[in-house]
Amino acid sequence: MTLPQEPGNEGVASFRTKLLVAMMLVVTAVTAAGFVFAQRSAASAVRLEFQGEFQEMLAASHAVQDVRHAALAERCRALARRPRIHAALEDGAPDLLYPSARDEMADVMEQAREPAAYSLHALYYRFIDSRGRVITPPGPGEAGALAPEDEARLALGSLPDSPQTGFLVRGGGEVDELVAMPIASTESGEVISAIVVGFKAPWTGGGGAAIRSGAWLNGRLAFPSLGESERQVFSGALERAVAAPGAVEGGLQLSAGGAEYLLFYKLLNPGSVFPPAFEVSVYPLGDLLARQRRLLWQFGGAGALLLLGAFFASRLLSHRLSEPVEKLAEDSEENRAHWHRAEAALEMTSRELQRSARFSADASHQLKTPVTVIRSGLEELLAGDHLQPEAREEVSGLVHQTFRLASIIEDLLLLSRMDAGRLQIQFSRLDLGPLLAGLLDDLSAFPDNFGLKVDADIAPELWITGEKRFVSLILQNLLENARKYNRLGGRIRIASRGEGEWAVVTVGNSGSPIPPSSQEHIFERFHRGAVGENVPGHGIGLNLARELGRLHGGSLRLSVSDGDWTEFELRLRLAAGAVAAKPA
Amino acid sequence: MTTSAIRRFAALLAAAALPAAAALAQASIEGSVRLPKPLHAPVMNKRYGIVAYAGVLSPYPPLAVVYLEGLFPPPAGPKAAQMVQKDLAFVPYLLPVRVGTRVEFPNLDNTYHNIFSYSPAKRFDLGRYRSDERPIPSVVFDAVGLVTLRCDIHEHMRALILVLDTPHFVLSDAEGRYRLDGLPAGHYVLKAWLDSKTTLERPVDLAAASALREDFP
Repeated sequence: MTLPQEPGNEGVASFRTKLLVAMMLVVTAVTAAGFVFAQRSAASAVRLEFQGEFQEMLAASHAVQDVRHAALAERCRALARRPRIHAALEDGAPDLLYPSARDEMADVMEQAREPAAYSLHALYYRFIDSRGRVITPPGPGEAGALAPEDEARLALGSLPDSPQTGFLVRGGGEVDELVAMPIASTESGEVISAIVVGFKAPWTGGGGAAIRSGAWLNGRLAFPSLGESERQVFSGALERAVAAPGAVEGGLQLSAGGAEYLLFYKLLNPGSVFPPAFEVSVYPLGDLLARQRRLLWQFGGAGALLLLGAFFASRLLSHRLSEPVEKLAEDSEENRAHWHRAEAALEMTSRELQRSARFSADASHQLKTPVTVIRSGLEELLAGDHLQPEAREEVSGLVHQTFRLASIIEDLLLLSRMDAGRLQIQFSRLDLGPLLAGLLDDLSAFPDNFGLKVDADIAPELWITGEKRFVSLILQNLLENARKYNRLGGRIRIASRGEGEWAVVTVGNSGSPIPPSSQEHIFERFHRGAVGENVPGHGIGLNLARELGRLHGGSLRLSVSDGDWTEFELRLRLAAGAVAAKPA
Repeated sequence: MTTSAIRRFAALLAAAALPAAAALAQASIEGSVRLPKPLHAPVMNKRYGIVAYAGVLSPYPPLAVVYLEGLFPPPAGPKAAQMVQKDLAFVPYLLPVRVGTRVEFPNLDNTYHNIFSYSPAKRFDLGRYRSDERPIPSVVFDAVGLVTLRCDIHEHMRALILVLDTPHFVLSDAEGRYRLDGLPAGHYVLKAWLDSKTTLERPVDLAAASALREDFP
């Protein structure tokens, strides 16, 4: 048995706990891995969403600018075709320029009801002459109001041959987006003038959108919706970023006033005749971080719930799983109890056996000495002369009895030695022929033969292995039984033969057979069958014979018992080399 | 427009400008002006009579107006000239006139035209009219200078009217050859107008009944 020494309830409980812990570890690991993975992918999704939002907003702003440029370009092309504009520009009539353009530009100019943000309509426009100078409109309200010093800053170094974008920070701090469109001669395509149109910059509306925009222009940050501390931080960062040669666009992560910002800058007018202007877009990262934090909390909560659920599920499962183990433990406990009981019974039986064997041996030894003393006393009496002849016969009978007694004691001693397992057979080669012949001689010498006729069919040479005195003891017992249980004038038949590797000796006698109910008990110790008290014997002979036969590796059995015939068969193993015995 | 047509008009105008004193011994000048090559500009439409390039208006194909500057008696009566609009073009596209000349602008196309000028020498706007407009819209050019005429409807239409303070002027032919007849003797400046920015000049002394030859340059 290899069961744990103390499986008990604690063992099962600890098994269950271990199972639970293992399951929880697995579940926790899986949950943690899932959590990390999901959190990471969700965070990146949020970031992507955020970037998409950001780009969408920027794209919307740029789309407005594109539409504005397209509309304006079309307008300028139409304007450049107008003969009156050409007349004003080419025929030396600048005073008639603005009046001629008024109708053309009427729908470009801003209308009062126009919503402020992302205006497609212009605040003002000015023509630029062939030398890049601003042509001042004749009346103050003619082409949109603009202070003279601001107007002067619309001047271009030279006429551009493609549309140009720039920014103007007016004296009052307002930021305007400028678009300059060249006006080309109809015949030659030569640029003869340009029109500069000022729009409200897209971010000046403020708007409430998450993204705020401004411009970096002439080393200044034009960003109306910015606080002072943010302005300082952003200005410093932009100054450094823009100073790099070839800086066109980029992104910065900045913290100002305790908040995180994502800042993008992009050169709006590469190669423009206007001073380089960067569009600056600022997105407060606080929103993104808050979103990510919220997501983290949600994931954490979900993970905790999951773990809790997993804990209960694991508990349930570990109980369910440990049930068979528990049952096994209980069963093995029962088994153990059985085993202990059987062991104890075995122990007791073995002790009893030893005790009875020791008793037999002791008793035999104790008995042998007084029997010898009695026999020598009786023989002394016989040797004397003072006994009556009747008394002498009596004493002679007593001496005979002491021999019987000694023989019984001898048998008992032998049995007890066998029971105790202390009987050692000294095996040697032995010829059954002479042995049987000797025994037959002894049989015929018995005084009180009942007129028995003895048949013998003995193989002259039959070598077996065994110890001579025990083999002859077996045969003596059998012969004595055959004589004792015979009827008057009966018959005894002894035969021996070799049969394969066996030497087979049969001893049969006439007389009433052994009743079937007794046949299975005849080999038991102290069984004497249904024989009268007048038949001498003590019921250990057959038992002894069979035990000795077994010790020799052979067998003894009742082969025939019916009618008037009873026969025993003894099988003993032939000695090596004697197998090919001649058949009898 | 053909060169012969221009010359016919020019001859007509020159004849009209001449005073009655034709019987006087009159001098004449003839020669040629080297006309600028139209090097520039991929001119897209041959119908353009006048092209502008780098702020310079020049006739196309090139022509020159040669005239004699000096002190001349005022004209005896009102002068008249015509510049027609035909096939969406001014004919002629370059017209020299003496100050005070009334120029009529008949519309020979069956579409509207709207002739106007922003030039400082004469600003006017005749508005839209068709060929059946009567009287024929006309403008008196009362100040010396170059007047650019345009049509507000057809952006490519352009013409120049050179208003001069002299009765003696002539349009060169396409090769630049010219001839001025019936000139009074005296000391004058002979000028050749090539484009809005280029006028060549040289002094001439005309003896009675002399015939000079002056080539520009």
